[in-house]
Amino acid sequence: MKLELGNFYVKEIVFGDETSYSNGLLTINKEEALDIVREDEHITEADLFIVKPGDNVRLVPVKEAIEPRVRVEGGPVFPGVTGELMQSGNGRTLALKDCSVLVVGKHWGGFQDGLIDMGGEGAKYTYYSQLKNIVLVADTDEEFEKREQQKKNKALRWAGMRLAEYIGSCVKDLEPEELETFELDPITKRSSEENDLPSVVLVLQPQSQMEELGYNDLIYGWDTNRMLPTFMHPNEVLDGAIISGSFMPCSSKWSTYDFQNFPMIKRLYEEHGKTLNFLGIIMSNLNVALEQKERAALFVAQMAKSLGADSAIVAEEGYGNPDADFIACIVALEDAGIKTVGLTNECTGRDGRSQPLVTLDPKADAIISCGDVSQLIELPPMETVLGELESLGRDGFAGGWAGDEILGPSVREDGSIIMENNSMFCGDQVVGWSTKTMKEF
Amino acid sequence: MKKAILYINQFFGQIGGEEEADFAPEIKEGLVGPAMELQKQLGEDIEITHTVICGDNYMGSNTEEAVNTIIGFLEDKEIDIFFAGPAFRAGRYGSACGHIGKAVKEKFDVPVISSMNEENPGVEMFREHIYIFKGGASAAAMRKDIKKMAEFGRRILKGDTLGSADEEGYYGRGIRRQVWLEPPITAADRVIDMLLKKIHGEPFQTELPIPDQDMVPIAEPIKDLSKAKIAIVTSGGIVPVDNPDRIQSASATRWGKYDISDTDRLEPKVFKTIHAGFDPAAANNDPNVIVPLDVMREFEREGKIGKVHDYFYSTVGTGTTEGEAARMAREIVVDLQDANVDGVILIST
Amino acid sequence: MVKEIEKAGIPIVQMANLIPVAKTVGSNKMVPTISIPYPLGDPDTPKEEQWKVRYHRVGVALDALTMDVKEQTVFNVSV
Repeated sequence: MKLELGNFYVKEIVFGDETSYSNGLLTINKEEALDIVREDEHITEADLFIVKPGDNVRLVPVKEAIEPRVRVEGGPVFPGVTGELMQSGNGRTLALKDCSVLVVGKHWGGFQDGLIDMGGEGAKYTYYSQLKNIVLVADTDEEFEKREQQKKNKALRWAGMRLAEYIGSCVKDLEPEELETFELDPITKRSSEENDLPSVVLVLQPQSQMEELGYNDLIYGWDTNRMLPTFMHPNEVLDGAIISGSFMPCSSKWSTYDFQNFPMIKRLYEEHGKTLNFLGIIMSNLNVALEQKERAALFVAQMAKSLGADSAIVAEEGYGNPDADFIACIVALEDAGIKTVGLTNECTGRDGRSQPLVTLDPKADAIISCGDVSQLIELPPMETVLGELESLGRDGFAGGWAGDEILGPSVREDGSIIMENNSMFCGDQVVGWSTKTMKEF
Repeated sequence: MKKAILYINQFFGQIGGEEEADFAPEIKEGLVGPAMELQKQLGEDIEITHTVICGDNYMGSNTEEAVNTIIGFLEDKEIDIFFAGPAFRAGRYGSACGHIGKAVKEKFDVPVISSMNEENPGVEMFREHIYIFKGGASAAAMRKDIKKMAEFGRRILKGDTLGSADEEGYYGRGIRRQVWLEPPITAADRVIDMLLKKIHGEPFQTELPIPDQDMVPIAEPIKDLSKAKIAIVTSGGIVPVDNPDRIQSASATRWGKYDISDTDRLEPKVFKTIHAGFDPAAANNDPNVIVPLDVMREFEREGKIGKVHDYFYSTVGTGTTEGEAARMAREIVVDLQDANVDGVILIST
Repeated sequence: MVKEIEKAGIPIVQMANLIPVAKTVGSNKMVPTISIPYPLGDPDTPKEEQWKVRYHRVGVALDALTMDVKEQTVFNVSV
């Protein structure tokens, strides 16, 4: 499988007459773009904004981030989701880099939604403050979940994907500024140089814990709750085969942009043929019952062993009971003689003294830790808020609250906030960006 | 000018050696013994106003009294920071520094800094409560140990950014917090580095050391179940639909007890779950799948158990710190003991 | 939570789906439940079936309170 990602580096985004890209300048026809958003009759209100690093803007409730892209040979950017089913990971896809489409609720948030500060001291808590962003702020008529803590956010997330495809399509006929090539020979057809290197599989545990459909990550449009671990080519992930869901405290989530750019996958590609033989991805899952967790671990270990993996990396999209899936998987791989490194975040509690993962095992002796969901963060007011600041305290955010005996409300009258890292949008960057770690004090 | 107070034992307090180990606590204005070196190292912005001296044996055998007396001495003093020791490898001295340090921390909430050798039993007893710097084996290390204590104290009072336990040189207090690596190294780079080391059998340092497990003794079993009063406790967030105690749906700090004395089973729309960590549909449709009151009543009718306790207890487990969970459990225990509950079924989600 | 109650000398049994988690937190007596969101009754099964599961597993838990065990024990369930 050979994927060419053709990159255009966006330096500035402006609204203008024609949606187009030229020399780093991305111009968006706002009305045309909003028409695309409003194609779904469930969207009742919508507006677009442009934000860039350093702006004194706070975004909340943030639901999704997507990189604008287009497929040169045609077809949806997200097969099985925004269009017909087709093989992703082959051919040429063009991407607008250093920018993303951010989807923000105009009013209503929930457990899974997050916050982004584009400037000030809050900017360091998310990756997205480093990007130029096209911000869709919209509301829907999805009354059934308006006041529910858990939201599917379907209309808004899909509007974001349509918008990203619309914006991406403006580079369809242009020559990319840079071409990244991702190619792996079939496992049994690799050169002896590659085969002599220690082999590695990447085991991903995307969020799949909601039994009701509509909340979980989708793979080619298929709900991950309804799958067993399977083998995938890394190119498929990089090329839109998987989209983010709408469940799990936000700092632990992997956005669709995260999947499209998955730094751990790209890093393994860099090592492939030099220090490692990158076999591919075992796409596992996260479960709610012990038997399901054990079954998934069993599948993963068997697959890794049958593939002849010498080593493995396991990454989980979540914390709390998903830690049981994570540890079970590491233990199963170690028991199969596969040297394994885990990639996760922690929850040590407000006092920092709680057990970092809910299950632990001495066999999990090599873990990279990307942050602490329970860290308290206090931030000053921001000049501009896109969305609704009140939602952080009102709507049951994982890291926000209406009132607290000691800390008071998350959202204060002057617009300053206090929250847990839990609600920083995709803040722990377990996909590989995180420069955070955990230390003992 | 910031104010400091130092605690030392009878020996360093120049009262005497082993024969004076029963010396009762005293507080002296100004500097005694090691206080002079500490003052020198602290510089001009921090003044040691008093030195507290107590015999090691006195502290060891009358701990509570000694601590209370010393806290009494300190109550009307200005304290910005408290030092104890250094205690080197002296076990009784180390433990005394720990006892008084912990009490001062709890009572006045000021930074407390000590220093002990790694073999001092005081380290394991008190490292969670106060800063204990890694110190020398004997008084020969006095100057060096005091320097570390003073330097750290100065930085705390100046409001400097403090490093991790390893970076600063004290024994970790069991508090794990996130930090940004400087220079920044991405998680993806760290994974590759660790993986290659693990593959090639080279030493590597996990970022999440697995702590040892700490167990409690198993309680005496119930002798006669048919006479026993059994209580139901859950971390599954089952509450009356209006959530009267405003229990948080994650990172809970509150719990509730709900009267079920006239209830045969928990009905939907009367009770629900507010736990945010899982799909609530099943528990909202039938709360008995988390609080199994219906079958407990059946066991009561059959005489398998004596009685279902009149209340069930509920909180939310997700994201809740062990410290908070333990505090809530202790509060619930008082209630259980008052009601003579003989056994507990805890249902977690 | 379990540890604090046990420390007070009150016999306690934890009913949990994630037995590895219960073990890690230091529970001494454990009875498995069927899942996290519905520990004692699968909503996809008839009410009578749910009652049977619940009756059986809670019964095992009650019996566990009377057992003199020396180490962490997971009590077996048959439905």
